[in-house]
Amino acid sequence: MINFHGVAKEYENQTAVRDITFSIEKGEMVFLTGPSGSGKTTLLRLIYLAERPDSGSIAIAGQDVSELKESGIPLVRRHIGVVFQDFRLLDNRNVFENIALALRIRGAAEREIKSRVFDALKTVNLRHKADSWPRKLSGGEQQRIVIARAMVSDPTVLLADEPTGNLDPDTAESVVRTFKDIHAKGTTIVIATHNRDLYRNSGKRVLRLEAGMLISQEVC
Amino acid sequence: MPAFYAFTLASQSLRKDKWINLLSMLTIFAGLFILSIIFFIFYNIEAATRNLPEKFSMVVYLEDNFPRERLDQVISSIRARKAVSSVKFVSREDAFKELRSTLKNSQYVLEGLEENPLPDSLIVKLKNTAMGAESVRQLAEEVSRTSGISEVDYGEKFLATLHNVKAGMKITGIILTVVLCTGIVFVCYSTVKILFFRRNEEIETFKLLGATKGFIRAPFIIEGAAIGAAGGLAGLAAVFLLYHVIVVRLAVSAPIFNTLLFPSGAFMLLPLIGMFLGISGAAIALGRLRY
Ligand SMILES: Nc1ncnc2c1ncn2[C@@H]1O[C@H](COP(=O)(O)OP(=O)(O)O)[C@@H](O)[C@H]1O
Ligand SMILES: [Mg+2]
Repeated sequence: MINFHGVAKEYENQTAVRDITFSIEKGEMVFLTGPSGSGKTTLLRLIYLAERPDSGSIAIAGQDVSELKESGIPLVRRHIGVVFQDFRLLDNRNVFENIALALRIRGAAEREIKSRVFDALKTVNLRHKADSWPRKLSGGEQQRIVIARAMVSDPTVLLADEPTGNLDPDTAESVVRTFKDIHAKGTTIVIATHNRDLYRNSGKRVLRLEAGMLISQEVC
Repeated sequence: MPAFYAFTLASQSLRKDKWINLLSMLTIFAGLFILSIIFFIFYNIEAATRNLPEKFSMVVYLEDNFPRERLDQVISSIRARKAVSSVKFVSREDAFKELRSTLKNSQYVLEGLEENPLPDSLIVKLKNTAMGAESVRQLAEEVSRTSGISEVDYGEKFLATLHNVKAGMKITGIILTVVLCTGIVFVCYSTVKILFFRRNEEIETFKLLGATKGFIRAPFIIEGAAIGAAGGLAGLAAVFLLYHVIVVRLAVSAPIFNTLLFPSGAFMLLPLIGMFLGISGAAIALGRLRY
């Protein structure tokens, strides 16, 4: 589903990741870990094409996207749901509209939008917050809204960047359970985290980054 | 319903940035209003002067010894010309009689004249289409070259001036229209550009969620169209108000205003023109952005 081959990316002469080669199978759930600044966010951004590789090649669902034209990017992104580290919730829309946006962009019909958004809200246990403003929610609630928005369109691939960074251990655990439910439906999931508790004894593959290099991939 | 959502986004943005939008709408209104007044003035000048050449006649003086039997032939050859609507013969006797009656109270001017000093002449009326001073001049020249004709008189100075004034008016009108339309397009361009950058953060999120170029741009095109159409509509209202409240009222005391024509059909196009200019400005603004 996701294949990296010798991928490197640098920002203004500072290497963010280099020589990254791995592949993630369809329906797999994978953790991406490493100290802060090791390149986890960069690697995810490369997958959803917010960054383009300086060298190497990236294939998503069999399609080589390293040379993809700008106009082709939206179509790839529609198959990917992203839980952004910085949330990217829009303050001028309520919770319902923030989540609905992911569907509107995909051209969904109004009736479908309604049922899907409420389903997604139920999954993250925030059905009662549909009319709230994002700014009025706690960090943990905002985090779950972002997860709802990422999953509402039933993406083939779900990427999550530090999805438990703002959560207490109990909520973090419920979020992980949510991811496992989504994964059980066949969605490919990549979770970047430096929280060991998330993947310890999970039985999932863990990709470990250090200073932009992939140093190990083993099942924990 | 993706198309419908573009309208929702556009109307949200119109409300959110209402002051910028109102300001550019007012600018477009002012531009179109000025353009309408210029058009109204030019249209009326054109209408008032359209029939002037017809009122002008050319007088063709015949030589003293002009043989009467050639008269019919000369008359029909002049009448055959495109610019001519009618030809009338005035004999020297008729002309003298006419002069006498004109000078009814100052007959002494004619005293001492032993004989009729006036020549036979032809009064040539011109068609409206003979507006171009050049074509009238050409006609006069050709007629004067015919044998037996001594002189051709016509309001050449006046016609030439009228022609030049109208040509000048036309150029001024075109220049003003181009300048004002460019101004309006530029206002829409700047507005959409400002709105786009104000929403940069939001647009970035749209893109990350998978929005296409069209999804992001459509609301701005709609917004440009709405601002332009609103400006045009306001212009239309102002022009009608100006005409019905001011001109029609003035006509009560100054009947000359009654002769003014009001091309309402053309003014009805104002909202469409505004919309077109608004869309153009928005399209240029978006075309210069990469995404
Ligand atoms: N936009 C950027 N401009 C310059 N350097 C950046 C940028 N984003 C990330 N970096 C650098 O790239 C490296 C990897 O960052 P990142 O991928 O965010 O790591 P992580 O998510 O693991 O903390 C870091 O050294 C960081 O400083
Ligand atoms: Mg990060």
